Amino acid sequence: MAQARQPDAAARGPRKPRRPQAGLAFIAPFAALFALVFIVPILYAAYLSFFQDRLVGGTTFVGLDNYTKLVRDPQFWDGVARVARFTLVQVPIMLVLSMALALALDSMRLHGTKFLRVTIFLPYAVPAIVSTLMWGFLLGVKYGLFGSLNKALGTDFDPFSPGTTLISIGVMVTWAFTGFNMLIFYAALKAVPRELYEAAAIDGANELQVVRAIKLPALRGSLVVTVIFSIIGTFQMFNEPQILPSMVANSGVTTFYTPNLYAYNLAFTGSQQGYAAALALVMAAITIAVAYAVQIRGLRNASSGR
Amino acid sequence: MRLSRKLRLLSAALAPMLALTACSGGSGGGGTGASANEQVKIKVWSWDGTVEGAVAGFQAANPNIKVEVVNAGSSQDEYKALDNAIQAGSGVPDLVMFEYFAVPYFAIPGKLADLGEFGAGKLQQDYVPAAWSDVTVGGKVYALPSDYGPSAMFYNEATLKKAGVDKPPATWDEYYEAAKKVRALGGDHYIAQDTGDIFFLLSLIWQAGGRPFKVDGTKVHIDFTDAGTTKAVAFWQKMLDEGLINTKITGWSDDWNRALNDGSLATQTMGGWLTSTLPERAPKASGDFKVALMPQWEPGTKVGAANGGSSFGIPAAAEHKEAAYKFLEYFAHGKGLSSRVEAGAFVPNLSVLDDKAFRDKESTYFGGQKVGAVLAEASEIVGSGWQYPPFFEWARSIYGDLASPFYTTGKGSLAEILEQWRQRCIQYGNEQGFEVS
Repeated sequence: MAQARQPDAAARGPRKPRRPQAGLAFIAPFAALFALVFIVPILYAAYLSFFQDRLVGGTTFVGLDNYTKLVRDPQFWDGVARVARFTLVQVPIMLVLSMALALALDSMRLHGTKFLRVTIFLPYAVPAIVSTLMWGFLLGVKYGLFGSLNKALGTDFDPFSPGTTLISIGVMVTWAFTGFNMLIFYAALKAVPRELYEAAAIDGANELQVVRAIKLPALRGSLVVTVIFSIIGTFQMFNEPQILPSMVANSGVTTFYTPNLYAYNLAFTGSQQGYAAALALVMAAITIAVAYAVQIRGLRNASSGR
Repeated sequence: MRLSRKLRLLSAALAPMLALTACSGGSGGGGTGASANEQVKIKVWSWDGTVEGAVAGFQAANPNIKVEVVNAGSSQDEYKALDNAIQAGSGVPDLVMFEYFAVPYFAIPGKLADLGEFGAGKLQQDYVPAAWSDVTVGGKVYALPSDYGPSAMFYNEATLKKAGVDKPPATWDEYYEAAKKVRALGGDHYIAQDTGDIFFLLSLIWQAGGRPFKVDGTKVHIDFTDAGTTKAVAFWQKMLDEGLINTKITGWSDDWNRALNDGSLATQTMGGWLTSTLPERAPKASGDFKVALMPQWEPGTKVGAANGGSSFGIPAAAEHKEAAYKFLEYFAHGKGLSSRVEAGAFVPNLSVLDDKAFRDKESTYFGGQKVGAVLAEASEIVGSGWQYPPFFEWARSIYGDLASPFYTTGKGSLAEILEQWRQRCIQYGNEQGFEVS
């Protein structure tokens, strides 16, 4: 044993000083790409946000004007409030649903789990544009499912009126991402050592106790991850409100329905790139702050235990 | 997919840079040498397929000019790309397609070449006057009209007959009476739909003699209270208030296609270009639809309006302006025009509109009607002097935000929406460096 270790250590000796350089070489391809597609764009956006583009007079340096204007822009805050409300309602529902599905799949009491797993995950693979079109047809009151339902029940419920559109989008997003989150939970459950279950069985624990004492605590880490993913996702909602207005009349979707949509419209129809850049950065900061807060809270809870 | 949305957020802000790199990549292929006998290659941005069809004939007649037609996206996307190319100073195309309302947007800041330098001025009498005024800004020509959208009323004859309306409404008063009869058919029968279509409302105002936008260089005056505007707005308000218009179906949607097919929407007052898309959208209504002039405000008069249409201009930063104008003249005015008309383009050139063959051609979809004759007349009666503000692209994008609450709840009025719209336009226009009042 000792003999075998000797040449190993000898070989490592001279390599030691070279290690930093070698590491840099390995990281270089990633670092270059990361800088090019991530750091540079962010810096460029920051640079842009200090300028105002005007149709007459061109681009001028305005310092922090775009930011002060943004803070006082009711349309921006309307969008932020909307996605925040959406997050508060949709994310818990979706995550509870995904968790329940993951637990069900993991319970080993279901037949055809593989098939179910794929089926539940499948909506995630459908591009948001396609799924929005699909749900648009499904929820449409004129020829869609809700049209038939209304006719059959004699009701007059419209899933795409200004008051209900956000709920409908919530349904779409939940449909699309429940499977994705379920998979994360399911993976976490699979990582639980089987001995724990055996021990629990020997101790005479029933299924409910196993769930409460073993499975739910095991999900805590992935819960933080899924919450963060979901917050980032919903704060950047874009596809659904972008497509809906071309499908249904007066769904209440405005050009500033979500901050992302607002940024897009500012940049592409209002030619206010500087303002849009400022909005993008502020929104990124808000999203990061919220996600970070969740992470810190989540980790603190995780470490303090129950 | 969730995370990729984050990138999209950034890309909204970063589009200029991305486009910039895209443009500089594209310009590498373009020729640079431009001496007299050398080969010149011009780049054309167009979403009108008939223009590409004219290239072969042009190149045969002008062997030293090569034409490359690129679809750089339609309207908005293309304007954005052009703005970026101009800003970057590279990859600027030689000839670009614009909707009429976009011409002042580019002409006023000096981004378009004055076509008068190439002798475009003498072509004026060959075009419908209103189309010519659409491409004229401050007395100078910045584009040549390439297609036109005279407003016309497409009506489903079968539906109107069923409702007891024997001839298409010739005045808006008759239209109102017809609307009540159509509504009396019950179900989803309406005379038309409207969910806040600004182009339709403006065509109504235009026809009534309202001229809400007055543009003089960078000075823009907006006023929705002139007599014509007030009359048109009050009329449409009445139609909406009395529930005669379907406010649930939005144009260009699947619901709209279905309603056109089953005949529950009796009329569509839109640009003449609807002839090209209606047969695809409503194949089941073949033979039912006919075309008439827009209903009139006064019996016995003939005044029209336009709804859409486009033109081609040459960026001031273009490399081969001379060659570009040659091609433009060829397909928008000269020998290349007829091939485009055959391919389905509806053009505002009098040589075509007055042509007997064009006027007498019977359309099977429209039950053998001579559609060309009606649309030619609709083009010739378009009221003159209409102007769009240079920032109309933006203005129309936010109109829906303001109109939506009224169309969904019935609270408020069109006049109030227009006033709010005016306020927003004034604010935006002034921020953009115009003098808007």
